[in-house]
Amino acid sequence: MEVFFPRTLAELWPLKAANPESAVMAGGTDLLVRLRKTGERPPAIIALERLAELRRMSIEGGGLRIGAAVTIGELAASEIVRDALPALWQAAAALGSPPVRHGATVGGNMCTASPAGDTLPPLYVYGAAVAVAGAAGCRRLPIGDFILGPGRTSLAPGEIVTDIIVPLPTGGAFSAYYKVGKRRAMAIAVASLAVCIVRTADGAAGKVRLAWGSVGPTVISLPAVEAFLAGKRLAPDVLRQAGAMAAAAVLPIDDVRASAGYRRSLAGNLLLKLAALGDDEQEDGR
Amino acid sequence: MSQSDWRSNRPPAGGVQEIGRVAPRADAAAKVTGAERYAADYYPENYVWAGVKRAGVPHARIMGVDTASARALPGVVAVLTHKDIGGKNRLGIFEKDQPILADGVVRHCGDAVALAVAETKEALTAALAAIRVDCEPLAAVFAPEEALAAGAPIVHEGRGGGNLLLESEICFGKAREALAGCRHAVELTVELGWQEHAFLETQTGVAWQEADGSLTIVASTQTPFRDRLELAEALGLTLDRIRVTAPYLGGGFGGKDGVTVQGFLALAALHSGGRPVKIWYSREESILAGTKRHPATVTYRLGCDADGVFQALDCRLVFDTGAYASLGTEVFALALEHAGGPYRIANVAVHGKIVYTNNPVAGAFRGFGVPQAAAGIEQAVDELARVAGFDPLAMRRKNAVGCGDTTPTGVVIGRPAGLAECLAQVERHPLWRERQTWREGAPPFKRRGVGVAAVYHGMGFGPAVADYANAKLELTAEGRITVCAGVADMGQGNATTCLQIVSHALGQPYGDMELVLPDTARTLPSASSSASRTTFTYGNALIGAAGVLRERILARGALLLSFQLLAPVNAAEVDLLPGRIYHAPSGRSVPLKVIAGFMDAAERTATYSYTCPVNRQAIPTGGNLRLHGYPHRIFSYAVKLARVEVDTLTGEARVCDFLSCVEAGRVLNPQLYEQQLHGGAAQGLGYALFEDFAVSGGEIATGDLATYILPTALDVPDMETVSVAVSEDEGPFGMKGVGEVVIDGVLPAVANAVAEAAGVRVTKGTLTAEKILAALRAGGREATR
Ligand SMILES: Cc1cc2nc3c(=O)[nH]c(=O)nc-3n(C[C@H](O)[C@H](O)[C@H](O)COP(=O)(O)OP(=O)(O)OC[C@H]3O[C@@H](n4cnc5c(N)ncnc54)[C@H](O)[C@@H]3O)c2cc1C
Repeated sequence: MEVFFPRTLAELWPLKAANPESAVMAGGTDLLVRLRKTGERPPAIIALERLAELRRMSIEGGGLRIGAAVTIGELAASEIVRDALPALWQAAAALGSPPVRHGATVGGNMCTASPAGDTLPPLYVYGAAVAVAGAAGCRRLPIGDFILGPGRTSLAPGEIVTDIIVPLPTGGAFSAYYKVGKRRAMAIAVASLAVCIVRTADGAAGKVRLAWGSVGPTVISLPAVEAFLAGKRLAPDVLRQAGAMAAAAVLPIDDVRASAGYRRSLAGNLLLKLAALGDDEQEDGR
Repeated sequence: MSQSDWRSNRPPAGGVQEIGRVAPRADAAAKVTGAERYAADYYPENYVWAGVKRAGVPHARIMGVDTASARALPGVVAVLTHKDIGGKNRLGIFEKDQPILADGVVRHCGDAVALAVAETKEALTAALAAIRVDCEPLAAVFAPEEALAAGAPIVHEGRGGGNLLLESEICFGKAREALAGCRHAVELTVELGWQEHAFLETQTGVAWQEADGSLTIVASTQTPFRDRLELAEALGLTLDRIRVTAPYLGGGFGGKDGVTVQGFLALAALHSGGRPVKIWYSREESILAGTKRHPATVTYRLGCDADGVFQALDCRLVFDTGAYASLGTEVFALALEHAGGPYRIANVAVHGKIVYTNNPVAGAFRGFGVPQAAAGIEQAVDELARVAGFDPLAMRRKNAVGCGDTTPTGVVIGRPAGLAECLAQVERHPLWRERQTWREGAPPFKRRGVGVAAVYHGMGFGPAVADYANAKLELTAEGRITVCAGVADMGQGNATTCLQIVSHALGQPYGDMELVLPDTARTLPSASSSASRTTFTYGNALIGAAGVLRERILARGALLLSFQLLAPVNAAEVDLLPGRIYHAPSGRSVPLKVIAGFMDAAERTATYSYTCPVNRQAIPTGGNLRLHGYPHRIFSYAVKLARVEVDTLTGEARVCDFLSCVEAGRVLNPQLYEQQLHGGAAQGLGYALFEDFAVSGGEIATGDLATYILPTALDVPDMETVSVAVSEDEGPFGMKGVGEVVIDGVLPAVANAVAEAAGVRVTKGTLTAEKILAALRAGGREATR
């Protein structure tokens, strides 16, 4: 098996064209696990780790542009992410373990398109866009359109993800990521919830964005629950009602990690993590 | 492979290591730098890979195994079946029921059907895939009740007793009548799942034929000497044709107590055209084929009088041994002996069964049946305290056994016993004293509970099987001391303790000592690294050997001095000092090297044989358990305390604090001792909260470490330890075994804390967040602030 390490996108496209059956590898923390498990052997691997163009983070026009090959560890170490996108920062800090975060990338997490991918619910609530490029050119689409189903994305053959563009929420927005795993590290989410709430002057919720992980084939958004909470103070009984709506609406499955029923309960109960928000401002989501 | 590969381990430079002080681990530097060679690290020159074809079905008759197409593949050296085995093809301790390679019947999914040997791993994988096993499925049984039902499929056809491996009863007084008369009584059933050993180093080893055709096996094993006996019989070889060596193990915990890969290695090496063979299980194969902790269902009825004094216990314990007995009957006997906990109870009925099924094989696992028994009795005690309105710790103190008391299963405690002191220490400890304040400090949507459990653990093999050790020491020609550590060190550090004992006993510094790890050709026959008896038994033998060597050195030294002084020298006036002897009256010294030159090789070697005293008490009940270890003579004691915070939204439980208070005699090396307390507690927390081993229809659903959830460093709290060091004078320097009492009782301490926090007890298997949330819901506490 050949492994290529292009240094620029200009080098990458001809390699990709010459090796149409090759696999793209960023950190390899999903790809290599899959190859070991299935015994699949792609004829070549094109590694993204030396593409400086994919490893940058920069503020651009009210959004944070994150290169697809930026590692989860780099996200977790970034002050901008910590301060402006706390839900994404918490998700990065909760993904895997230090050695996994050292290799794993945000692009890889998206392209794996697992409903349990930890960075995905935060990217949904922040309204992130995905920049995709191929030999023929680039396109940009909302994350909800990029991910089509479990393990399925709208990447065309020969295309790669180059960046994720995350709009920075307005000042005063509260955002957080709540993850339930089977242990405190190295745990695939059994259920998770990302929230982003812009509060009104009187402390009620203004705009509410919610996204659940691991309770459906992809990340689940429930506009009805968001609309129900909008304009209300997040008192426990309000959150309980919203929780009941969410528990009824999600589409979880049974697997070796948890039953669908438990996941359903979590989808509802996790909203009560916001109850502290009703009391004080200091909730950090952990 | 050359002799230089049999490197002795040289301990770090250092002075005399006294007993009772922290002696540096002899293996630390080599392990940390990666220089230490585990069995997995052996790659003999020109070696080939061996691998196993597994059944993949839980119960079937083998109609044929077609090896021809596998054999024809490039790079394949041999493909072997049971027909290639010269001996009885049966492994086992009491019940020799396990074939090396299946001959006729498959009894669980991990059963080995054929063995392939190939040049490369790729060729091996291809060969294993090409072996065709023609199987006729048989009806299978996956639960003890099913297996015992009339007309159930029989796992071992033709065996008298059917699927019942062993049934026993220990009875004193009139348990049922007394229970009916109790002021307070509770009943509780607890179901316990499997636990995987999950050692870092999966089962592995290498083997080759020597020039004379005899076999040398380097394996990750707790039992090199017993392996040799078992292999000789199974393969039809004489003992002198097999040599087994055990480098440091990358973990064992009982999962390498007996043959794992050694049979395959021996067989492959006999058919590899003279080339060395290597085998190394993947994690998946390790989980599929390895033994586990026995699942069990235990039902307890416990009653007390108005003062909280236990009056009666009636309990039933049912164990699932899976497809083979392994050490199941011994595990079962220890569970029954400890079924009533470390208390005084006069009216007792303990009844138990251990049953064959087509599930994965259960066997030895640190704790050896006691964790299951403790899970029952210690939760029953808490329930009883709750309904009767007693403080759970005070109730335990009231009923605790001490020296001179009789345990619920009739064992008269004839040796020092520090349980009362452990309970008193915990009662005084801030983690217990300040529990109410801590509980009340729970943040919103969290609930807190504090649980305790008291346990004891019998040490050694019991009255029927000799618990022996043969120590060997050598004064080398260079005047150094070679310490033969005849019992495997699976990471617990007993090799270091061997050095420390000799260093202390002979007053010689670490820097002048060398270690020989277990090797049937170089160390003397000694029983296994198991049963909390390793250091107790081997340490006693070493002290004996050191005494012999000391006497010889002093006698020879006195003789040498008398030639120098031209006067008789009394050996009693000669001292053994680091590197020399010293004669105070004359002020003269003689280096050990000079004395060594004055002795022949046989004299420079001191050996000593030690066999543990046993409990010879005549007990009128439980007679069929004697052969399997009942009763014990020496027990270690412990009390565990867990502070657990439960999330009422998710059911997640976090152990915030954990205290182990242990009485295991005197402490030889406080650091190694504390490592046992920490490791045992961590493994016990895994058993309690995380390691939810799932099997359905005989197939393992948690077959890798992504789905079988071990606790990580973030899941294990900082732990506190308290040692109650009562001297056990039969032990070396007053010690007794600590390796297992440290895991016993962790589960019920946690379960008791969770029950307090959740309001409803989780009694079925691992206490996962999902089950705890269900308990919170049942108790009306789900999502409450
Ligand atoms: C031990 C362990 C623990 C883990 N824990 C977690 C966890 O807690 N939470 C979680 O969400 N995940 C977890 N993962 C999964 C994994 O680490 C993440 O999904 C990670 O983000 C994947 O990134 P990667 O760079 O390693 O992807 P890779 O393995 O390199 O790639 C994954 C897939 O995406 C494709 N790909 C990668 N980058 C691009 C690109 N720029 N354009 C197009 N295609 C691309 C690859 O071809 C491949 O198909 C864990 C994995 C392991 C091994």
